[in-house]
Amino acid sequence: MPENPSETEISEWCVKYLARTLDLPEATIDPDASFARLGLDSANSLYLIVELEEWLGVELTTEVIVEYPSIAELARYLVQHAAGGNNAR
Amino acid sequence: MPRVETTPVELSPALEAATPTQFASLVDVLRYRAAEQSGNTGYIFLPDRSGERTELTYAGLYDRAQAVALRLAERGKRGDRAALLFPPGLDFVVAFFGCLLAGIIAVPMMIPRRDSTRDVSAAILADCAPRFAVTCHDLIAGARPDLAQRLSSAGVEWLFADCTRARPDTALPAVEGTDIAFLQYTSGSTAAPKGVIVNHDNLMHNLEMIRIAFGNTQRSTNVSWVPHYHDMGLILGILQPLYLGALGVLMAPVSFMQRPLSWLKAIHDYRAEIAGGPNFAFDLCVRRHRCEQMRGIDLSSWKLAYNGAEPVRAETLERFHSTFSAYGFAANSAHPAYGMAEATLLVSSGKRGGGPVTATISREALQQHRAVSATRSEDAHRVVGCGRALTGERLAIVDPESQRRLAPYFIGEVWVAGPNVAQGFWRNPEATNTVFRAVIDGEEVGYWLRTGDLGFLDDGGELYITGRIKDLIIIRGINHYPQDIENTVQDCDPVLRRHCGAAFAVPDQNNEEQLVVVQELERVHRHRVAIPELIATIREAITREHDIAPREIVLIRTGTLPQTTSGKIQRHLARHLFLTGSLAAVQ
Repeated sequence: MPENPSETEISEWCVKYLARTLDLPEATIDPDASFARLGLDSANSLYLIVELEEWLGVELTTEVIVEYPSIAELARYLVQHAAGGNNAR
Repeated sequence: MPRVETTPVELSPALEAATPTQFASLVDVLRYRAAEQSGNTGYIFLPDRSGERTELTYAGLYDRAQAVALRLAERGKRGDRAALLFPPGLDFVVAFFGCLLAGIIAVPMMIPRRDSTRDVSAAILADCAPRFAVTCHDLIAGARPDLAQRLSSAGVEWLFADCTRARPDTALPAVEGTDIAFLQYTSGSTAAPKGVIVNHDNLMHNLEMIRIAFGNTQRSTNVSWVPHYHDMGLILGILQPLYLGALGVLMAPVSFMQRPLSWLKAIHDYRAEIAGGPNFAFDLCVRRHRCEQMRGIDLSSWKLAYNGAEPVRAETLERFHSTFSAYGFAANSAHPAYGMAEATLLVSSGKRGGGPVTATISREALQQHRAVSATRSEDAHRVVGCGRALTGERLAIVDPESQRRLAPYFIGEVWVAGPNVAQGFWRNPEATNTVFRAVIDGEEVGYWLRTGDLGFLDDGGELYITGRIKDLIIIRGINHYPQDIENTVQDCDPVLRRHCGAAFAVPDQNNEEQLVVVQELERVHRHRVAIPELIATIREAITREHDIAPREIVLIRTGTLPQTTSGKIQRHLARHLFLTGSLAAVQ
């Protein structure tokens, strides 16, 4: 895990991850688009949360995707509340 | 006769019988367990990281179920329906048995997702016209206040399973084998859901068939994360343990999806013999395998890992074994099976410890509806055996057109006859006749269930599923009907031609089914829209309404989707055009 990743780093990581899992070109993944618009179903949402937990070393609730429904919003939340060793439960 | 080489099946020695009494109904089973094993723990629900572990003894379950039953009996009458809307947990188990004790027909339902607008729940409620909606108070008061309004329809009375009192003089009816126990809504589209009618006789027979095939005893603890509204979750995860007097450990589907290794840890913790799920579950465990999270976990107690509800892949079985054999998972514990709600649950299965059987057949011959050993590797297609007919049940492979019985190694529709075959579809005599009352041409004996699946039997009676006739898309063990998805697509924009779309499944590189949608555009509007935007809108609608991530959406020119002369969409042909890259795609 990187030392306190920035909002941009988290956002880029999410774009790369979603491009890979959803089999879409990275360029088509708009960080401001809603997760539903990108085609993220509930199973893939759960997988994304788990991957983020593992990468950032934090615990997240399953509701974060509902409360922060785009890559940009999620990255902003994560950098403020989750990254840097804080527990985001 | 075409031959197929198969690997031999080894049978385990006979196992001790677990059930001394012949039960007439599940109510008898519950009363027997509450009397004979009153203080034993029947069920444990494991929480996610936060939350409490809950337990029910058989006596505790019986008391609570009786309280629910008395309340139901006081307010309703025998044969009324009760929709059961529960988050994962033991309250569902209480409510389900409460219904059975009161002679009320249980209708387990999925809680509608918050942001879907036309999910199947409204249509199910309209179809079964329940007298009650049973839930737990916390769900309505806490997380989902929208449900009360959403599901309110005339005449439905809400009842909370977690706070129930009734007049003490209320009497409960005697429940018989021919009484309907529950309706299982896993068939039919959103527009026309079909409730499979399962009575107590069906249940008693299928639970006994499962016990024999699985070699189950009172020590056969099961750990299940499969949803309780799914036939596999209900029958194998909840009802079989009670039938045996064995412990049923339950966990939330979400816990499994996020941390599949926690399922394996629970198998270790409770020394469980039995645990399973759809094929994807085993792939997910492999994908999420982390050595450090598996430290100290021993899977040697796990004797039977049932795999069903979606096509079983040989590669999945191999990957799972090679990943988890180091933790004591034995190759012969993998247990492919085949089943459906229309046959209560289980249709075919091997014997405990038999291990999976695979056959390598020719793709070319498969096109000719024959199973023949492949001679060239590029023509080879591996299929996994799903076991044989259960005790007291018969299987037949039938030509779906001529309805004549086919010999071993010929591919046709799988038909089933036996006491586990359900009573039909709720208030739907037409569909019941078509599906449950089929007759093999030239044979006099009895009715058969048409499964809609294609397969063959080998000369030892092993069943192999090779495809399906019914237009059905199975993703993560959940059935989706293409017409529902096509309707969602066509509602997105007027440029998308009504009745001119096809949704179907194609395997990805891991052989998991993925959704593909092909949709015609109206000629007149064609230049009005930006194609990438339109595709994103369709993707969003499918994700919201059906909770599936579509793998590919292809928009095609007016009039290029294959249809029959009567205007029926030919989804198989559309799929073929997609796979061969011959669609008239609009860029």
